[in-house]
Amino acid sequence: MLLPLIFILLLVGGAVLAAQSSINGRLGAKTGVIESAWLTFIMGAVLTFLLMFFFEPTQQATLFSVPKWQLTGALFGVVYMLAIVFAVPRVGTAAATVAVISGQLLMSLLIDHFGWLSNAVRPLDASRYVAMALLIGAIGLIYLSHQQRQHRMVNQPS
Amino acid sequence: MRHALILLGVLIAGMGLSVEAGLLGPLGEQVGHLSATLSIFMVGALLLSLALVFSPKRHLGTLFKQPRWLLTGGILGPIYVIVLTLATPLVGVGMTMVGILCGQVAASVAIDHFGWLGSEQRKVDGYRVGALVMILAALWLM
Repeated sequence: MLLPLIFILLLVGGAVLAAQSSINGRLGAKTGVIESAWLTFIMGAVLTFLLMFFFEPTQQATLFSVPKWQLTGALFGVVYMLAIVFAVPRVGTAAATVAVISGQLLMSLLIDHFGWLSNAVRPLDASRYVAMALLIGAIGLIYLSHQQRQHRMVNQPS
Repeated sequence: MRHALILLGVLIAGMGLSVEAGLLGPLGEQVGHLSATLSIFMVGALLLSLALVFSPKRHLGTLFKQPRWLLTGGILGPIYVIVLTLATPLVGVGMTMVGILCGQVAASVAIDHFGWLGSEQRKVDGYRVGALVMILAALWLM
């Protein structure tokens, strides 16, 4: 019952991410990367503060009472952003995209397998290995698609 | 050699994205999903504010001269992070990431095909559709 709902949520999350990176890429080219990222995070903070202030049910723990290592998530997001900005002009979007997705999927399967960071353990079983092979294939196709696009841009400069 | 090192760095940065999701899920369970999301954007906004103050060239003025729709990226970011904190504890980090990837690839095909968000219109990209099918199959197996 819950699974289809989660699936739709995940698709929306991914679609929103694609739209955001398309919009922010355009904005960043005009104003600079730090400026566009700053605006994104400020607006995000304002919005989520308002939502939390009015809609969050009261919880036992607060952001100020949990162990500090649990609050370090934002650092990974910022490091990721800087890495992409540094790498894309040097290695191209095709290779950078493939490296990001590979790292992301590999680490997510490891976290599940070992239950790191107090997550539930979801071991790597036979069907997950097959899924991994399919994902490697998908990553290969995404690489080809990016490469083809770069060629096209080289051939028809606008 | 230099290329390989840069790619290794990007791979590690990509791993960081899953670590972020892995941290967010349990955090959201404890303090609430909206608070967990706020922690990401608040810390990020404060760090970037510092970076902005010390960056050599600042173009804050041009930021507000852009068409308004270009400034809406900040509304979309929280949706993604809230989805992460909601989904991770229920289905795990692996399935969350594959599902997000699926939505991303599907949306990128649609954005190109219809020329949305001011992008140049391109016809459907067979490679991406193939990738999408394989990702869906992987999602079903997870």
